[in-house]
Amino acid sequence: MTNQIAAQNSATQSPREVAVRASHVTMDFGGVLAVNDASFELEKGRFLTILGPSGSGKTTLLRMIAGFQKQTAGEITINGKPVDAAPPHRRSIGMVFQKLALFPHMTAAENVAFPLKMRRFNPRQIAGRVDQFLDLVKLGGYGNRRINELSGGQQQRVAIARALVFEPDLLLLDEPLAALDVKLREEMQLEFRRIQHELGVTTINVTHDQREALVVSDNIIVMDGGRIQQQAEPVELYRAPENPFVAGFLGLSSFVEGTATADGNMQVGDLVVQGEPADDFAAGTKVLAAIRAEQIRLAGTREALGNCDMKLEGRVSDTIFEGERQMYVVEVGALSGATFRVYHHDPDSFGLFHVGDTVALGWNRRDLKIFSPAA
Amino acid sequence: MPEIPSKDDPRTTFRYPLRWRIMDALNNGLDRFWPARMSPYTGWALIMPALLLVGLLVLGLFEMAESSLHTLDRATFLPSEAYTLENYQTVIESATYGRVVTRSVFAAGLTVFFTLLLALPYAYIMVRTTSSVVRKTLLVVLFLPFFIGQVVRAYGLLIILGTTGVANNALGLVGIEPIRLLFNFPAVVFGLVQYMLPFAVLMLAPALTAIPRETETAASSLGANWLQSFRHVVIPMAKPGLIGAGLVVGTLALTDFAMPAMLGGGSQDFIANAIYDQFFRTADQGLGAALALLLVVLGSVIVGVVISIFGAGTLGMGGKK
Ligand SMILES: Nc1ncnc2c1ncn2[C@@H]1O[C@H](COP(=O)(O)OP(=O)(O)OP(=O)(O)O)[C@@H](O)[C@H]1O
Ligand SMILES: [Mg+2]
Repeated sequence: MTNQIAAQNSATQSPREVAVRASHVTMDFGGVLAVNDASFELEKGRFLTILGPSGSGKTTLLRMIAGFQKQTAGEITINGKPVDAAPPHRRSIGMVFQKLALFPHMTAAENVAFPLKMRRFNPRQIAGRVDQFLDLVKLGGYGNRRINELSGGQQQRVAIARALVFEPDLLLLDEPLAALDVKLREEMQLEFRRIQHELGVTTINVTHDQREALVVSDNIIVMDGGRIQQQAEPVELYRAPENPFVAGFLGLSSFVEGTATADGNMQVGDLVVQGEPADDFAAGTKVLAAIRAEQIRLAGTREALGNCDMKLEGRVSDTIFEGERQMYVVEVGALSGATFRVYHHDPDSFGLFHVGDTVALGWNRRDLKIFSPAA
Repeated sequence: MPEIPSKDDPRTTFRYPLRWRIMDALNNGLDRFWPARMSPYTGWALIMPALLLVGLLVLGLFEMAESSLHTLDRATFLPSEAYTLENYQTVIESATYGRVVTRSVFAAGLTVFFTLLLALPYAYIMVRTTSSVVRKTLLVVLFLPFFIGQVVRAYGLLIILGTTGVANNALGLVGIEPIRLLFNFPAVVFGLVQYMLPFAVLMLAPALTAIPRETETAASSLGANWLQSFRHVVIPMAKPGLIGAGLVVGTLALTDFAMPAMLGGGSQDFIANAIYDQFFRTADQGLGAALALLLVVLGSVIVGVVISIFGAGTLGMGGKK
């Protein structure tokens, strides 16, 4: 059933067509720049996630895209037309709100039928369409339940069906999963992905959960302090962060300060640390290096590390058991006492090292990114 | 990190402020007077005064019922000895009382309708406005009439609506001869609506506050224009408030005395006016009591029907639908 819709959508969809374009969008709340000069593009049919810590301006950006709030500068277009060219109820945007905003006085089916009635769909087709979309979100047979008779996850699904049933050009999700428990959240993340693939609807999702962003998205925008820090595909974003904020926000990174050398490495005291420069910087300037916890190897001796571009000795200052792996905090004297957080999940060596042990650390050059410190 | 001294550290001990000592002493006294094992009965003890008051009212009602069963002896001006239903027969058979009852009920219905019609947008704007100046102004305007009182307000309306009042002067400006705006049915309903509006707004405001702004944003994103969102989302979600406000306005209007007396000029009597006449003019206690009981029954039946249709839950009392 839903395949028809998917087929229609993919037929109308020529590749690389831009669905949403924001250029130099700024929102100034009387001195507070909630969104600061944000520019990005989103292609039709893609799933974009806006990721950032609390207060970074994600909701504000989303509300401007939805046209609920007017930006103080810049322009947002959807399919080439400014968002506010039409009043909110004439726009073709489906939105799932953080608090869902379902209608408590209606049943699940009535909630899903609401946009169809408001948008003057043929009344004889409404019931069929509602059933089809309730099936899509795996709620077939739940149509007659009132909203308060559904579980959190089921309500979530009703909200999604309601936002999708009128086949909007754009689907906006404002942290709709934030209130769910971890298991359900992970299940719903996959569900989002499946539905989005099935319908091919252009989607913008907002979250502060980096895992969710990596799992569901084709494309991720990282925001901090109202600014877009980086826009990239998940793997690239994780592998090649462009600045220390992104490096620190995704995954678990350890940071070391030093000065730049002429050949793009970093010097700490007498020691030259091999790494990959992420920006251009002049020799002698202060720089910041970051490396992910899973990219550091750990062993009892240098020899046991095997092939590594960089090898160092350190002292274990803390060990933390995380279930599927062990995390060690290692202090490296040679790097003026910098600490590294290291994941270790060799099944045989759980709990191998203890606080106070001397261990060897190793990593490959490309895994240590060197940034000019926050501009 | 600064060191946090332990609780017993002499640096942390200090003189208890007097207010704390007094509160502690009061608490101790209370513990002795009302020991903890009495706590299951605390709730009952607290509602005792209210129960007594209501009980008093019920007692009065019984007395009333008793006196409604005696007719007035026109010769001695004393109530008859024998019990009789004659008073009720008089009320039921009288065309005048029939008109009075119909008029009261009809006027109450109209008042509810117009009051809610006006109060809903007023409360909505008061709750939803982003400007605190607008909100405060609306609140002050709402509360001002409360300080004036019903009789003075009715008198004010007498002046405004009189043949030489502001309303007729304004009509005169557009060349309309002075018309009689007072002492008719519309004048009474107008006065009642004007009187009830603040009550209705105050009862609707919390109901509207309880509707998340996001729900309305959602409705508009789903394709509802302003009117549709009001009709399909705001009004159904505000239903408990609307019914509560309707009941209060309706019963207050049904039992009103001052507006029909002053703005109706004796030609637009409600049940309360008829009762007043029997008690204080004709001194026919029995007939007055019969009318009063009729009013009580009428009011109770209307409230009962409304609640049984919409459920006590709609009044926000946590009942099941
Ligand atoms: N209406 C407003 N008036 C003034 N400041 C606002 C307003 N709305 C948001 N802000 C400010 O703008 C900044 C960004 O807010 P926003 O709600 O977009 O954050 P967010 O990224 O969605 O955060 P969260 O993850 O907590 O939802 C915050 O500093 C917030 O205080
Ligand atoms: Mg937010």
